[in-house]
Amino acid sequence: MSKKQRNPHDKRRLTKRMVREWGWGYLFVAPWIVGVSIFFLRSMVQSLQFAFNRVELSNGVILHPLENGIFENFVKVFTTDVNFPMILANFGIGLVLQLPVIISFSLIIALLLNSKIRCRGLFRLIFFLPVIIATGPVMNQLSAQGVSSVPMVSQNALLGVLQGLPEFIYEPINNLFSSLIMILWNSGIQILIFLAGLQKVPRAMYEAAKIDGASAWETFWKITLPSVKSLILLNSIYTVVTLATGGSNEIIELIYTATYTATQGYSYAMAMSWIYTAVVAVILIIVFLLLKEKSDRKVVYEQKRVVMKGV
Amino acid sequence: MAAIGGTKVNPKKFHKNQIPFYLYLVPIAIFMGMPIVYIINHAFKPMDELFAFPPKFFVSHPSLINFQNLFQAAGTSSIPFSRYVFNSLVVTVAVVGLSVLISTMAAFALSKMKFRFKKPIFEINNLALMFVATAVTIPRYLTISQIGILDTYWAHILPQVAMPVCLFLIKQFVDGVPNSLIEAAQLEGAGSWKIYYKIILPLIKPAIATGAILVFQNVWNNIETSNLFTTSEGIKTLAFYMNTLSTAGSVQGQGMAAAASLIMFIPNLLLFIVMQSSVMNTMAHSGLK
Repeated sequence: MSKKQRNPHDKRRLTKRMVREWGWGYLFVAPWIVGVSIFFLRSMVQSLQFAFNRVELSNGVILHPLENGIFENFVKVFTTDVNFPMILANFGIGLVLQLPVIISFSLIIALLLNSKIRCRGLFRLIFFLPVIIATGPVMNQLSAQGVSSVPMVSQNALLGVLQGLPEFIYEPINNLFSSLIMILWNSGIQILIFLAGLQKVPRAMYEAAKIDGASAWETFWKITLPSVKSLILLNSIYTVVTLATGGSNEIIELIYTATYTATQGYSYAMAMSWIYTAVVAVILIIVFLLLKEKSDRKVVYEQKRVVMKGV
Repeated sequence: MAAIGGTKVNPKKFHKNQIPFYLYLVPIAIFMGMPIVYIINHAFKPMDELFAFPPKFFVSHPSLINFQNLFQAAGTSSIPFSRYVFNSLVVTVAVVGLSVLISTMAAFALSKMKFRFKKPIFEINNLALMFVATAVTIPRYLTISQIGILDTYWAHILPQVAMPVCLFLIKQFVDGVPNSLIEAAQLEGAGSWKIYYKIILPLIKPAIATGAILVFQNVWNNIETSNLFTTSEGIKTLAFYMNTLSTAGSVQGQGMAAAASLIMFIPNLLLFIVMQSSVMNTMAHSGLK
């Protein structure tokens, strides 16, 4: 909109109105910028600095240059650490496998919750509960006590049944089952976001499609899915981020222990976390490119076409 | 719950068409609800049932012994229990309030206003979103000691106020508010501030509620700020105190941990029940169509 109105000749010139508008904009983001630059940006820049130096923590921070080239810490992560590259690869694969399952599961649950059933409020409450559990001390309790009995009981039961099967069949099933719990517990916010989106789809559109004789299957692909497409992207990014930075993550634990281990050193942990951040960023960029909307106009156009058909 | 009934989203009568939905929803719902039931049961288990093997799901002889132990242990410490509760309340209320205010303002500006460097600012947020929080604890400590707020309430509050996830979520919702609505308000002579609190805020209420729950989660259960940025006992939070009590290592510690986690969990549940009706309901009525 702004590009259309603005004359290319006065692109550089600030009109009075623009100054006022920009001023308001900056005023609204200012508190956030101050907070982030002090507590995130500054810390992140520092940690990057630490990654390229040898850090001595003694009553303040003293930085020593690295002896074996500036990337010593980064090289060390891949050459000396046996665990890190493995865990990182496993994490990446796990994430790529889990993401579509979480997204489709939460979409299905959102669709079910959006249909006309009794006790809808109660069901919604229950499906959002994991958000409270998964991050809270409750989760720590469940796992720390070793009696995370909900999954354990069912898993043990499953083990008994599956023990007769050869390992290559048994292993994926077992994995799927244990990650199923993770999937259920990781999809509270996603369900909520989908639900919000589904409720915004105009009823008239569905009615029109119905009159036209579209089946439920067609309606889903032609109306529901295009309407929530932008939310699929949002949810995917959210899922990747929460899985990557959430508490029950092996890499985070590895980084945490390395941070407070004297032998490996703080700068080594910093190098690790930057490598990790880069990997997560690459995954996010791929997700973004895959799910990016071609243009908003096309979706609207398709929706209109469906409505027109109905008329 | 009453509010949900008020929107008439639930059909009044049971219909056999609904049965397939229940076939899917009920088992999954039971599965999801189990941890809650477990936590409640666990807190009331006497010692022999806590350590029973195989672990029991339901308590057979409920007792309050864990809570008694917990309060006894709390009574012997030099700082009164209420002090920790007070600290936690102050910190949580301040952080939730401030971060919702800051995130919604920034989201509004980044989504609907025109100014230079808008894109880079949001990209920085996305970078912060991905970065591992553990990695920045030591630089953060240095920052906090440089500002000179070490061992004050600010050391709890300020590092937690800027939540990238919160801004990210809320901004996506603000994007969904139609521009025509804002243009109409501008034609009527509304200023930016008025548009913000008369139009944007009411329309994105669900996102605000979601964000607030997320922030609350993080802050209420956070033990890192107490651990790292404060030294005097009188300023630490309830989560931290509960953690020290329950990790004390004794056999009683297990039971106390169970009781403590139930106590810590209840505010979460209450807040969620209060918020969720606003999360679910505003959707139906909002102008987001």
